[in-house]
This record gives sequence, structure tokens and C-alpha cells, in this order.
Amino acid sequence: MSTRRFKISFIKDVNKILRQNIREWGMYIALLVIMAIFTITTKGVFISSRNIGNLINQTGYIAVLAVGMTLVIIIRHIDLSVGYLSGFLGAVAATAMVSWHLPVYASIALAVALGVLAGIFTAFLVAQMKIPAFVATLAGWLGYRGALQLVTMSKGTIVIPNAAFNAIGNGYIPDIPDIGILPGVHKLTLILGVLVILLFIINAINNRRKMRAYNFEVLPMHLFIIKLVFVSALVGGITWVLAGYKGLSWTTVVVLIVVLVYNFIMSRTVLGRHIYAVGGNPEAAELSGISVKKITYVIFGSMGMLAGLSGILFASRFKSATTTAGTLFELDAIAAAFVGGASASGGLGKVTGSIIGALVMMSLTSGMNLMGIDISYQYIVRALVLVAAVVFDVATRNREKE
Amino acid sequence: MGEAIPIVEMRNIRKSFGGVQALRGVDLVLHHNEVLGLVGDNAAGKSTLMKILSGAYIPNEGEIFIEGKKAHIINPWDARRQGIEMVYQDLALANNLDVAANVFMGREAVSVKLGPISIMDEHHMGQETQRLLDRLKIDISSVRLKVESLSGGQRQAVAIARATAFNTKVTIMDEPTAALSVAAIGKVLDLVRELKAQGCSIIIISHRLEDIYQVSDRMMVLRHGRKVCDTPVAGDIDDFRERVVAYIIGARDDFAEGVSKQPNNEHEEVQDIVH
Ligand SMILES: Nc1ncnc2c1ncn2[C@@H]1O[C@H](COP(=O)(O)OP(=O)(O)O)[C@@H](O)[C@H]1O
Ligand SMILES: [Mg+2]
Repeated sequence: MSTRRFKISFIKDVNKILRQNIREWGMYIALLVIMAIFTITTKGVFISSRNIGNLINQTGYIAVLAVGMTLVIIIRHIDLSVGYLSGFLGAVAATAMVSWHLPVYASIALAVALGVLAGIFTAFLVAQMKIPAFVATLAGWLGYRGALQLVTMSKGTIVIPNAAFNAIGNGYIPDIPDIGILPGVHKLTLILGVLVILLFIINAINNRRKMRAYNFEVLPMHLFIIKLVFVSALVGGITWVLAGYKGLSWTTVVVLIVVLVYNFIMSRTVLGRHIYAVGGNPEAAELSGISVKKITYVIFGSMGMLAGLSGILFASRFKSATTTAGTLFELDAIAAAFVGGASASGGLGKVTGSIIGALVMMSLTSGMNLMGIDISYQYIVRALVLVAAVVFDVATRNREKE
Repeated sequence: MGEAIPIVEMRNIRKSFGGVQALRGVDLVLHHNEVLGLVGDNAAGKSTLMKILSGAYIPNEGEIFIEGKKAHIINPWDARRQGIEMVYQDLALANNLDVAANVFMGREAVSVKLGPISIMDEHHMGQETQRLLDRLKIDISSVRLKVESLSGGQRQAVAIARATAFNTKVTIMDEPTAALSVAAIGKVLDLVRELKAQGCSIIIISHRLEDIYQVSDRMMVLRHGRKVCDTPVAGDIDDFRERVVAYIIGARDDFAEGVSKQPNNEHEEVQDIVH
């Protein structure tokens, strides 16, 4: 009898929590559904270690863009130029190594620094000249496309012979020496995965305790435990699949560092708080002494920097710079940001969400490629996903307001 | 008592927006621990006058004295340094942030500073906000609630609490009771009384004369950018209303005569906007 009452209240709880947190949980549900569908339609090929490993490496160059794009969207702007900017900066890094014989580190630094400059230029147009961001960055889209073609004009494709550079997009972290247990499994990857899970659990428990101290309504205990188990299983599953292939790739390491740093800045620092404040109410932020201009410069500067990083990841993965590098990256990054919970009306969005969004977009590409779906249909499907994400955003926002 | 130096004195304030003369030489005095009501028809210049005091606008002409000393207020930070805070009509809150984050917006408490990166002291901000809400008897269940989930009255209370949080000497409220339910209006007026009891000096703008009547010590009326009445709040509410409405709608205009002769409109120059 009491178990039945418990069951009913449990279902009620789940229902209520799902309704309240649908924005946050919708993307996880979307990711799981997409992965399940492709696993079935490809008869398990999609979920194989090899494919997931490749998928995560492909997600890298979109994921870093998506993180930057989420911040841009938080402050109510958009950046259409980052795709070709990423392609152009990858080509600059390639040229620096191949034609100017610069060392790898200098070439990477050059691409990233140029990215920051490009972002600052966009911010100048947006913050100083008051040009709408979509117009300013549409000009950038065209300009960087031209610049990319100029750089790659002589050869068409710049082949990068540098092994260290190419390892960023293709290499894997070394393993600890074999100690007899779990042969054929990447043990350092497993250890790191377990560490991540532990950190996540400790962090979640701490947060829950803090929120309760403020009288804030938190998840009921059983749902909290279910959430912990769910996320731990997800991270654990991915870790296990990766460890079964070649382990953690350098690309993943780069993405994880970007996520950790950006997540920290957005959630713990004054700068992050000011970014959210500007996104939530720019006039109020300005009246509170926050410089909206300064924040705009920081956000577009960071977007440019991440475009440089994305270009390096892409060039490294394909060991070359091509005339079409970066094509439509901006669409995937924008879609990833919206799927990841950013709101077109500003002020909302999380770094972690944008990574999930990027995984959704790349899963779609990877799954449809595996199924041999024609590229024309792929474009249409990606467009529909972008529209669906924004419709979902508007619908949930409207319901929250009621 | 009449000799005491006023906490705020504004003299001959003028402000134009393009061709619109929003303020045509207004004087304002606010005494220590006084609640001053500011009324007037739409576009009379009430918000503009207060935005000049809070540093959001720069006047074309005129002087401001804080506790007898001439003050140069050219941005909200200057005003804040002088202890002047304004609750804006359109509620300067960020709905996507929680109550504590809004109270501390722009003045976040820092625990560790690493170069350009300052780590926030969330614990301190949460506790201080809770203490502030308790002190002002504001009923909000958690300082971690997002502002968008609060009622209109609670939002107004957060905006007022935020304005009084940091050693504020003068709190300006622009239409704090507009668009609120009757119960919520009562709570906001209670909050104004509470602040006065705690020693604040307050200027409150309102369309609702009964609100002004209930909480103010003195009241001034603006009409077409000019002060047309400045009187203690006293006597019966119906007499009070009748008298004040006559000034608001311009049926009566005997204040300026002899006190400070204003030039005629034709003689006033159209001034360029100062940014
Ligand atoms: N930022 C502005 N730009 C142009 N005109 C303004 C601005 N602010 C106020 N005004 C004008 O100044 C006059 C006084 O406005 P305001 O001070 O807001 O009146 P009130 O608050 O008494 O209703 C109005 O005619 C208004 O249109
Ligand atoms: Mg007004």
C-alpha cells in the first residue's frame, strides 16, 4: 500500500521535475534518442568504439566553436563568420609551418592571435559602430571566405607534413605501462573517467547542500540519486567505449580543457556573472556599472580565439588546409548552442550544454553518413534540427513566463 | 531645524532632448530622513530630473549639492559614490539571475583575485542578501530564486532592497507602485516606511496621490518641466488631492510668480544634447 503511494508520488515528482527542467534535460533526451536510432539503423556500427572515437574527434572542432557561440548568443548577438574564419586560420597555421617554416607552437600561437584580432574587429563593428552583429559577421563570412581562397590559391590544398601538429587531431594520450590487468583496454583513460565521475558526484553533493542552506527547492533525494547514476553511467559508458579503442584523443583533451576553463569563468567569476547580466538586461547591467562594450569585446575576442583553435583542430585532423575548410561550421555551432539550451532572447545558456549540442549535431552527421544518406537530405535534416531547437526554446520560454 | 543643511539640493536644472525641453530650471531640496513625493502629469520631467540626480543623464545647466558640497555627477558611479541610488521605472533587474546576483550586480563580492579573473564569494553574497531581506522584512523564500520567478511586488522589493544595500544615503524610486496589485502596493509602501524608520532619505515618484499622501513628508509637483508646487503633506486627503490635482493639470499656477521668474518659452534657446 505504502509502496503504491510512493510510486504515485514518484511519478508525480518525475513529471514535475521534467516539466520544470525540460530545457536542461531536453538535450540529453535528444542525444540519447538520436544515438539509439542510429545504433538501430546501422545495426550497432554507430555505437562501436571506433565510430564513437571518431565521432568525438570530429565533434572537437565544432565543440570549441559552440562554446564561443553560446557566449555570443548569451549576450544577444550571433557570429556567422566563424566557419570561414576557422578555415582561414587553419590555412594560416598550415602556411606558417609549410612556407614560412615556423615551429608548430609559433604557428598555433599565430592562428589563435589572429583569431583574437578578428574577434576584436567584429566587436568594434558591433559595440562601437553599432552595426547589428548578423550584418557585421555576414561581411566577415564573405571576407574570410575570400581570404581562405587567397591563402590556398597557389596549391589548392596545403598538405601539412608535421607529425606533432597532426597528432592534435589524430593522436591519443599515452597509456600507463601494462600491469597485467585489463589487457587491450586504455587504463589511463579509465582512470581519468573514474576521476571525472567522482569529481562530478562530489560537486553535485556540495551544490545540493549549499542550495538547501538557502532554502532553495532541490531535487528530491531519490531523483537526485537517479540523476547522479544517469550522468555517471553516461560518462562511464563513453569512457569504457573510448578505452576499448585507443583511449582519450588529444582533441578530447583540448575540448575538455576549454570546457573546464569556460565553465569555471561562466559560473564562478565576476566576468561570467557580468556576461550573464549583460545578456539578461543590458540596460540594467550598464546602469549597475558593467561596461556592455567591454563585455562585447571580450566575448567576440574569445569567439575569434576559439575559431583559431577550431581551425587548428580541423587542419590537424585532415593533415591539410583546403579551400573549403570551415564551410558551414557556423551553422553547426549555432545549432549546437541552441540545442544545448542557449536562448535566442539572451541571458541563458551553459558551456556544458553547448558540448551536448555539438555531440547532437555531429551524431546526426556521423549517423547519416553511416546510413549513406545523400548530402542534400543531410542539409535539410540539420536545418530542421536547428529550427526545432529554436522552436523548443521559444515554446519553453513562453510556458515559463505564464 | 530649518537651518540644517539639506542632504540634496538641486538648483536651476535644465535639460533638453533635441527640441524637447524636458526641464526648464527646476530646484529641488531633500532634507535628512525626509520622504519627498514627486508628482506630475506624463512627460512632466519627473524621471528626467531624477535620472540627472542618479547620474544617468547629464544636465545642460544647473548645480547639485550633496550635504552642502557641490557634486559633479556625470555617471551612475559618481552618484553611487555619493550615496545616491535609483530604482528605475522599468526595474533595472536581470531576470535570468537570482535574487542575490541582482542585489550585488556590478559590485560582486570577490574571494580570490587572479589577475583579470576575480572569483566570486557566493557565500558572502547569499548571506548578506538574506540579511538585507530580513532587515527590510521582505518575504522571499530563497535568495537563490531567479528573479523571473518572482511576483511583481517581490521584484519591486528586490529592486528597492538592491538600491538600499550599500550605505545608501538617498534612495530614489521611480513609480514603484505602478503595475502592482493593491496588496503589493501596500507592501511597497510599508517598505518605504521601514526605510524611513531606519534613517533613509527618499524621493518617490508616483502617479497615485494616495501613495504619496500615505508615506511622504513633503511633496512637489512638476508641470511641463517646471516646479509648480512644493508643499508639506498635511491635512485631509480629499483637500490634499483637490489642491494637488489643480497644480498637476495646470488649473492653478501661482508658485513660480515672484519666487523665481522664469523666462518665456520664446526666449529659451534650443540646446544641443550633451552626451
Ligand atoms: N532619453 C530621452 N530622449 C528623448 N526625449 C526624452 C528622453 N527622456 C525623456 N524625454 C522627454 O522628456 C520629457 C520628460 O520625460 P520624463 O522625464 O520621462 O517624464 P515623466 O517621468 O514625468 O513622465 C518627455 O517629453 C520625454 O519624451
Ligand atoms: Mg517617468
